[in-house]
Amino acid sequence: MHEDRADHLPSALDNAVQLLRKEEPVSTAWRDRVLRAVAEDDTAEAAEAPRRRLVPLRAAVAAAIVCAVGGSAATIGMMRRTRPAAFAVTMSPSRPGARTVLLPVHFSVVAPAAASVSIVGDFNRWSPTALPMKRSADGRTWEIDVELPQGRYNYSYLIDGRIARDPSAPQTEGGGDDFGMPNSVLMVSGT
Amino acid sequence: MKIQSAMVGALVAWASASAAQSPGIVLPDRLAPAARATILRLIDSAQSVGLPVTPLVNKTAEGVLKGADDQRIVRAVQSLARELGDARTALGATSDLALLGAAANALHAGLTVDELRRLRSASSAGNDALTSALVTLVDLVSRRVPLSDATRSMHDLLERRASEKQFAALRADVERDISAGQAPEAALRTRVGSQLRLLDAAPLDARRPPMR
Repeated sequence: MHEDRADHLPSALDNAVQLLRKEEPVSTAWRDRVLRAVAEDDTAEAAEAPRRRLVPLRAAVAAAIVCAVGGSAATIGMMRRTRPAAFAVTMSPSRPGARTVLLPVHFSVVAPAAASVSIVGDFNRWSPTALPMKRSADGRTWEIDVELPQGRYNYSYLIDGRIARDPSAPQTEGGGDDFGMPNSVLMVSGT
Repeated sequence: MKIQSAMVGALVAWASASAAQSPGIVLPDRLAPAARATILRLIDSAQSVGLPVTPLVNKTAEGVLKGADDQRIVRAVQSLARELGDARTALGATSDLALLGAAANALHAGLTVDELRRLRSASSAGNDALTSALVTLVDLVSRRVPLSDATRSMHDLLERRASEKQFAALRADVERDISAGQAPEAALRTRVGSQLRLLDAAPLDARRPPMR
């Protein structure tokens, strides 16, 4: 993904957006009641929790996962814990009114020779196209910022179509090697 | 990029909710009808006893991405469903999805249900610390630390209310020592000994906020 396409969504996400935007037939009175309730809820929440808003991920400088792939670079460090001050809130479609707190996570992998890198895991149903990573200015590192609900996720990198685990993260022995390729484990926590 | 990040979150929330509550669970197209039917039956069974089904759907998708054959995918999903059930039996119905997933993974790595119960009993610092301990345990085992040593170490650390950060630091330290040539069990013994001395020296109320 390049800078000039930064606001374009991959097709899988685009489909999800379209699905989420699709309106369900409801009565006007019901819709009005829901919109009023949401507006009141947001007002009350803004008064008591002013931090709860979308903030730029880059400013958050949170949860850096840096790893080396291909043996050409050293592992620099890792910290997956996110900053509680930087999170977003989205509506959970399963329970009207319920909200899921999203925490920013930055993934970074050194793969200078790769032509394409994406991240696959429990957070995107292991879709190879949902989260393509972007080559950074140094030409060696691939990065992506995502926002995830608190939880534990198995994941791997997909580098030129090949699965590569993150050597700086905890790895799975059991559940992850059912298919002969251990995963890495990401824990997202707001505490 | 910001739009993408926000939408990933929305997609995760939507996907989790749909897998957990919708009868129309979407499995990858590549599965043959027989495997698909078997997995859907497993998911139905899990759902009927209140187990989370998202991990089962994810395991299926992972297998498809990794090119596993249908039989292997079905076996992996069966195994995970059983381990999630065992994990919930050992930990209780209030365990969150992250803890259940970590516990199922630890059972898959060889931990017994009784050992899992003992770890649960030793843990007074909340679900997050126990989840971190289980993730650390599985990682250590994958680095050839004997399971019994790793289990005992996690138990000792949980008893002293070690924090998630301390489990993460331990894992990284042991990994570094093993990479530098130390034997896995020796690396664990040294690092856990240091952590335990620190924890024993610290006042209990300074170690971690109370349970959520």
